This record gives sequence, structure tokens and C-alpha cells, in this order.
Amino acid sequence: MSVLARVNAELRGDRAIWAVLAILAVFSLLVVYSSTGTLAYAKGGGHTEAFLIRQTIFIVGGLLITYLCHSTNYMFFHRAAPYLLLFAVPLLFYTLFFGADINDAKRWIKVPFTGLTFQTSDFAKIALITFVARSISAKQDYIKDWKSAFLPILVPVLIVCGLIAPADLSTAVLLFATSLMMMFVGRVEIRYILLLVLLGIVLFGGLLMLADAFPEVIRASTWTNRIREFVLDADGGFQVQQAKIAIANGELIGEGPGNSIQRNFLPSPYADFIYAILCEEYGLLGGITVISMYIILFFRITRLVTKSSKAFGAMVAVGLGIMLLTQAFINIATALHLIPVAGVPLPMVSRGGTATLFTCVAFGIILSVSRYVEQNPANEA
Amino acid sequence: MDIKNEVLYRIYGLLFGIFLPAALVMVYRTVQIGLVEGPRWRQMGQDNYVSNREIEADRGNILAMDGSVLATSIPYFDLYFDPVTASKEAFEENIDSLSYCLSRYVDRTYTPGGLKEFLIKSRTDSNNINRHILIKRGATFEEKLKIQSFPLFNKGRFRGGLIVEQRNERRRPFGILGQRTVGYVREGAKPVGIEGAMDSILRGKPGIQPSIKVDKKNNIWLPLENLTSIDPESGLDVQTTLDVNLQDIAENALLKGVNAHDAEWGTAVVMDVKTGAIRAIANLGRGETGWWENFNYAIGASVEPGSTFKTASMLALLEDGVINLDDSINIDHGRTKFFEQLMVDSSPESQGLDTIDIARAFTMSSNVGIAKLIRKYYGEGQGADRFIRRLKQFNLHLPLGVEMEGEANPYIKEAFSQADVWSGTTLPWMSIGYELKITPLQMLAFYNAIANNGIMMKPYFITNVQRYGEVLEEMPPTVIKQRIASDRSLSRIRQLLEGVVDEGTARKLKTDQYSFAGKTGTAQTNYKRSGASIRIGGYRASFVGYFPAQAPRYSCIVVIHKPRKAGFYGADVAGPVFREIADKVMASSAVAQSPINEKERPILQANLLPGMDVGAANDLRDVMKYLDLPFYGRPESEMAVIRSHADSILFQERRTAEKVVPNVRGMTLRDALYTLENAGLKVRINGVGKVIGQSIRPGNKTRGQSILITLR
Repeated sequence: MSVLARVNAELRGDRAIWAVLAILAVFSLLVVYSSTGTLAYAKGGGHTEAFLIRQTIFIVGGLLITYLCHSTNYMFFHRAAPYLLLFAVPLLFYTLFFGADINDAKRWIKVPFTGLTFQTSDFAKIALITFVARSISAKQDYIKDWKSAFLPILVPVLIVCGLIAPADLSTAVLLFATSLMMMFVGRVEIRYILLLVLLGIVLFGGLLMLADAFPEVIRASTWTNRIREFVLDADGGFQVQQAKIAIANGELIGEGPGNSIQRNFLPSPYADFIYAILCEEYGLLGGITVISMYIILFFRITRLVTKSSKAFGAMVAVGLGIMLLTQAFINIATALHLIPVAGVPLPMVSRGGTATLFTCVAFGIILSVSRYVEQNPANEA
Repeated sequence: MDIKNEVLYRIYGLLFGIFLPAALVMVYRTVQIGLVEGPRWRQMGQDNYVSNREIEADRGNILAMDGSVLATSIPYFDLYFDPVTASKEAFEENIDSLSYCLSRYVDRTYTPGGLKEFLIKSRTDSNNINRHILIKRGATFEEKLKIQSFPLFNKGRFRGGLIVEQRNERRRPFGILGQRTVGYVREGAKPVGIEGAMDSILRGKPGIQPSIKVDKKNNIWLPLENLTSIDPESGLDVQTTLDVNLQDIAENALLKGVNAHDAEWGTAVVMDVKTGAIRAIANLGRGETGWWENFNYAIGASVEPGSTFKTASMLALLEDGVINLDDSINIDHGRTKFFEQLMVDSSPESQGLDTIDIARAFTMSSNVGIAKLIRKYYGEGQGADRFIRRLKQFNLHLPLGVEMEGEANPYIKEAFSQADVWSGTTLPWMSIGYELKITPLQMLAFYNAIANNGIMMKPYFITNVQRYGEVLEEMPPTVIKQRIASDRSLSRIRQLLEGVVDEGTARKLKTDQYSFAGKTGTAQTNYKRSGASIRIGGYRASFVGYFPAQAPRYSCIVVIHKPRKAGFYGADVAGPVFREIADKVMASSAVAQSPINEKERPILQANLLPGMDVGAANDLRDVMKYLDLPFYGRPESEMAVIRSHADSILFQERRTAEKVVPNVRGMTLRDALYTLENAGLKVRINGVGKVIGQSIRPGNKTRGQSILITLR
């Protein structure tokens, strides 16, 4: 049996989703290696390889995790969801008060003995989405009800997002929006969802105003600044201008791997503005390829839902898909100056440790669902 | 509706209602930024990080007359240390030895322990992180190499953290020598001296290199490979007229002078009589920390010259042919009044004299004598105008136009001019060097013209411009005025100037070794004259002249301003400096020595001829050719011997057999050592002179013995 055939046999589930994952991982390695030059210069004494090796380890490790997750029956996550959430909430609490202070925000905790830092919200995202998927699928019979369906689904969402928000507003808003879309897909009463949207906007606005009043307590000055910048400055702020220069430099086919110039000028070119560097090195074609990858992912998830036998499987796949897509599009839209600077990484592509691992978990769960769907295609719910 | 279908429709709603349109908008936007708005953003990027960086051209050297370097650019290095760069292991492993090396070899004010603590703190303590610690500023290339070899630093820029920044610095290998004249060009300061005057030539053309900024914070630029880069063009070298030896002599003599008399400033200039080339120019002013070249007094200080100007007055009288040197003049015991203004001779010698001849009045520098002469011949009618015209004939009213910035203009009043406040006392006082101003260099040019048979040369500093030793442009000597006075007047005035040294005010300075001529000056400064009372704020002592008197080769002026102790007369203060300069120049220059082969050839006699001199054949041949001694014989061997025979010299071979102790008697030490050591012997030496004995007889076998040679 050749290696390829062996791999082919091992990797079950939707091949297209595997392909998306692989292509994004390759882009990640290339662009992160190229764009960590400044980081390597500033922190690693010029060892760019160190960053390449680190990223390779995380991606290979992540792909292993994806493999393990996809081999697990997704119903495992169905059973685990409440416990995961029960674990996530105190963890978020802990992070909020005792987390490691990195870049003026307490988003991380140190994992003992490893020297790694771990962003709790990454874990909480997966926990919350599986839990919401479980709730929605369990309550399908009375899903339009306020008290017995809507509130039980909503309460954990509010708790988790509320705990993430003080330190990481972008992620909280993103997660909240993801939950809303899941509810929409899960047939929750549209009026309630609209109410929530309204509530969300009021809350968000209120928070910003509060932040204006008590800048010491709530870290939102960056947000107000970013929004002001987006509204007032037609060309965008410094970062956005640099991103646009990068995209323009790439033209159609790009400057080629490792030839980015703007990586020296863009702040965190390996994370928030990785799309710009990607366009600079691989051109419009590279950029469009990456956008298509996410769209293909969602198409495949949709296809999966049509075949899915169990409501939870469909909901969790859709939920995770929504999460990945929203985050990706928010990241890309930032670089394209379509929205204010949000500061979220591009899933699976941006440099990151635990974030990459949890993205791989999400892919793993989606693939697990697809694997079981393909095994029992006839078994309709 | 079927639940599953409803869910599906909603998913489609999300996909087609939100995600797909969002994706399309993003694709559109990418295309818009990348292609449609592309040129604008690319231009912005270019403006942002591409820049035509100027590359400094190497600055040319300033050379002395003999080619030695007076000013050159040398690369220097500023070394910094980024303690954060190195890895933890490397840092911890090397920090002890690095601290030791740094405290031992670079900055001894630190102890190794203290330095180590400081470096560790700079690396780890978040409040004290310093990524740009100064290790050494202005390190030379050798020092840089040494520091680069220290532990940790030897791992290079990215693993060790040593940051090297290069810059070019101007250095003057001769230090203070002619500093002000060599000058400088500094940002924000007026350019000075030759550096300033020749800046456009020395500077070269900076190159242009389009470069791309790769690091904003550390301002690191990477050169772009393209055709628009222009290489810098090195500046040309400028060769000056300055003679390092003369400059050294002048500077030292002047320093002794200003020190001995605690003066305010002093200047000494030596000029080549024939060409006007400045061979030495020293300027010393009192600074807070000692003497230094703070101003180019020779060129920039236009001052009342005092008695040295009497030469011009006298030359005017001679040109008008109204006096003979042996005519007499009454000097009124050194005191007289012009329009109620008292004029007094500064020398007490005058008090016992009344009627003396004009030559005496000049050589003893009688103010009264000269002033009365001038009033007698120019005091009537339009006479003053004639006097001023004579001064203009001597070119005393015009600046010389030297190459350097900062030449002060001379000031000679126009006759009867109201603007110049011409009064009845102007003429007599002008004649003795007051109510007019002139720089030391201008005065020197005048005396130089007297020494140079009336041809006034422009003093100059630059002989040529060269690149890598190849002369590109010559600056020939310039004649300012072909003839400032008639030969007759000039020979008279030279006679007077010699008289000053022979029997006048400078007679103390006379020497038997050579002759020189000149004039002393003791000018009053900050004086206030009213009627019979004079308040004097100080003196300016000067001496200007030329040497040797008969065939003048150099002219020289020494001015010492406000001597505060040990005398103030020109002959006592400036004269000795002049003498010292002249002494050393005469002693050291070949000019002063009469060539031995110019004399009539002696009649050769055997006992006068060198005999039994042994030495390197080539050297001996050169010596005899130079001495113009005829000799016979053409030895083929390396060593040769000279034998005299009757009245001729024989030049014979001296062969040394192999493996045999050679005969070195009669050789100089150099030749003997060469011969013996080539034969494989160890040589011990006793005495000086020529070899008169050797401890192993010639002809013995050599076995690497030790041989003692005796010289006498």
C-alpha cells in the first residue's frame, strides 16, 4: 500500500474540507515565515527560522489534532459540551482576574510547565458553540418558545461573551454574532433574534460610552479610536494605508514568496494584517484563493447539512463554520478597509499558538461530522 | 415545513445573503485596491520607503609641501551593545568574560562585577531595558577588531548583539601644527582655512543610491539594485605650500615667545621670497586651557603696525629722491610736538642725541626723526597726497586676495579725506605706523617684495590639486606687482634693513652664522593721546625681515600682541622668535650649506685620499661620483676596496670565498654585519667607527662561530 493510499484511507470525511485545511496551512507557513522577519529581528535576535519552526510545530500538531478529532465520533462532543462549558466559565473568570498581562490585556493564561500561553477565549468559543448547537438541536420541538427554548440557549451565550468582552471586545462581539446566526439557522423565533441584535447594539454602544467616561476601567479607547478613524479618514489610518500599499504592491500575481516590503512597515503583519502581506507576495490571485477557501468550506458544510442525519451534527458544523467564516471575513475586511480595525487573526493562516490548535479542533469536529454523514448517508432524521 | 428543509433554507440564506456577498465585496475591494487604485498606493509606498540616499564621498587629503598629510579622513566606529539579542545560554555563558574584557580593555572606570550587573539589568529588568548601550565611541579600526573579538561579541551582530556604526572623521596627524590654516568645515560653523577655501574640491561629489528602508526604528536601509545609482566621486587632494618642518619650527619658536612674555596672542609667518609660497604660518592665542590656534591672526588681524611701517615711509622718501641716507636730521632728543601732540621715541637712546644722519634715525627707529622727515617733504601743500600715492604704489592699501576666507582689509587713509578724519597729526603718525591698519601677512608681502627685488608676490597656500598623486591642476605663483620701487631705492632700503640688525635696534640679534635684515616694531595699543599725556594700554611687538640678507630666501614676520612680562620691545619679544626660526631654517636647510663639490677641485695627493676603505661597491661608487672624485676600476664583486695610488683612486674587487671567514677590516658596521652574517657567523660588536680587528682570522673555516669585531 503506497503512502498516498494509506493517507487516503486514514483521512476520512470530506476531502474538499481536508484540501481547504491543507491549502490554508501551506499559506500560513509561507506567509508567517516571510512576515515574522521584524519580529525575529526585535525578539529572536534575527532567528527567523525559530518562528518558522514554531509555526510548523503548531500546524503539524494542529493537523494531528484535526485527525484525532475527526476520528472521534462527534456525538462525543455532544456529551462533552456541558462539561466543556462548565470548565470554560471559571477559566474565563480566572483569566479575567489573574491572567497574564500581554499587550495591556488579560486574555492569556500561562499553561504550567510548558512556557506556552493560552488564550482562554479560543477554548471558550468551541465550548460555547458545541453547547449552543446541542441546546438548539435538543429543543427543536419547542424552539420558538421564549422561556423554555430561547432563554436557556441565550443565558450561557451572554455569560461567556460577557466574560470575554472586557479584555477582548472583538472576540466577544464575534462570538455573540456567531451565536445569533446559529440561532437563526436553528429556527429560533426571528423576533427574539432581532431583539437580541438590538440589545447587542445598545449594549455595545453603552459600553463604548461607559469606556469614554471611565477609560481606566474599560479598555475601549482603541475601539473608539478605530471607529473614529474609520469614519473620519477616507484613506484609513496608518496601518490600513500600509495594508493597502501592500495589496497594491502585489498587483495580480504578487511579488513572490518572501519578497514583501510592507512587512517591515505593517504592525503585526503575521496576524491582523496577514491578508495584506499574502496579497503582496501572491497577488490578487492569492487573496482571492484564500477567500474562496472559506467560501468552499461553507459550501461543503451546507452540503453536509443536507446529508446529515442528526440535528446536532448539522448545527455544530454550521456553528463552527459560521465562526471560522465570520472571523476570517472580519480579518480580511479590516485589511481592505471595509470595517474599522478589528484586530482578529485570520483562522488557520495567522501566526498563533493555541489559536491555531483550536481552529484545528473546529476543523476536526466538522470533519468528524462529515465522516459519519458519509458513512450513513441514508439514515435521515 | 420540514424542519430540515427550513434549516437548510436558513443556511442558504446565510450563505447567499451574507457570506457570498461579503466574499464578493472583498474580492471586488481587493481588485480595486490592488489594480484600480494600485498606482496611487504603490506611489505612496515608494515615497514611504524608497529614497535616494546620499553616499558621502571620501574627502580629499590636505598635503604639506613634501606630501605628508596635514588633514585626512579616517573611518571611526561607534560601538553599541544590544544585550537582548543574544540567546539566554550564550549571554549567561559569556557575560562574565565579556564584562571582564570590557572593564579591562575598554573602560577601566567599571569593575567587571559592576559592569556585569549593569548589563544583566539592561537585558532583563523591564524598567531598565537598554538595547543601545554605548561600548565605545570613536573606536579606531584596530580597536573595533579587538572589541569584536571579545566573548559574545565574536558571535556577530545577530547572535552577539554588537552594533557597529561607522563614520568618517577628519584627523590632522600633525595636531596643532598650522591648525587654523588647515582649518575645518563643520556643520553650522563658518568654514575655516584651507578646508573651507578648498571645500568644493576636497569634498568630492556624493553618490546617489536609491535605497529601501527596511527598518523604521533603527533606520536601516538596503541599497536597491538598479541603474539609477551614482557612485560617489572622491574628493581631490590639495597640496599646500606648508613645510611641516618649518611649520614645526615656527610654531615652537612662537610658543616659546608667547609663553615667555605671557602675551595675548602671537603669529609667525614664513614665506618663500621668490614665489610667495607660505612655508609656515603659526597663530597662537591664549585659551582657557593653554595656547591654541583660535584665530588666524596673520590673515585676519588688521592692526596698527607701528615702526615696521617706517620702511614704507623711508621707501617713499627714497622713491621721491628727496633724501640721501647720510643727510642729517635733528631728532630733538627724542621728543617733539606736532600741533600740540607730543611724540616720543620709545628708545631711551634718543635722549642723548640731537642731529644724526637719516640712516641712523631709521636703524634706531626714531619716531621723531622719521616723522619730521615725512613732514618736511610731504607736509606742505598737496604733499600728503603724494605720500599716500607712494604707499599705494607699494600696494599697501589693497588686500592680497589669499585663497582663504577671512582676510582683513588694510586701511590707509586718503589724503585730506574728511571721512577718514584726516588731521594735521595724521601724516606724522602715519609715517611711524599709526592711524592705519594692515595685517601681518600684508606687511610681510611688502617686505618680501623688498627682498625680491621689488617684485611683489602674492602669498599663497595651495600649489596643486591632485588625485592619487597625479597632479590635475597647478597653481603657479602670482605676481601682484612687477615692481614696487626702483632698484636704487630698493638697494638703499635693504641697506637700511641690514643696518637695523648690524647696529640698530636689532643688533642684539645679530649672528655670525648668517646675515639677515629686518625691522623691529613696538606699537602702542589701546593708547589715548591728548597733548603731552599718553596713556598706553599695552604694546604689540613685531619683527619683520628676511634671510639670508644677501640672497634672500625666506621672509618672515613675527607679531606678539600685548606681552605682559619680560620686556615689550620688538627686538626683545618678537626678534628672538624670528632669530630662532631663522637659525633653525638656516641650520637645517641645504640652501644654507655651500655645496662641497662646487669649489675648485683639490689637487689630489695620496695622503689626503681615502685609503683602504672597504664597503659595498655600489655605495662607494655613489659617494665618489657625488664628490666628483675620479676613480679607476670596475669591480664585479659586491664588496669593494678603495686604494689610493699616487694621485688617483683605484677601485678594486674584494671577493669573499665560500665557507671561509671573510676579511671585514676597513668596513663600516653595516657592511661588516652583512658580510659576516651572510657567511653564517654570529657577530658581537665592540666600539664604533670602522672595523679595525676581528677575533677570527680571515680564511678560517666557518662553522657558525661567534666572532667579535672591534671598531674604531
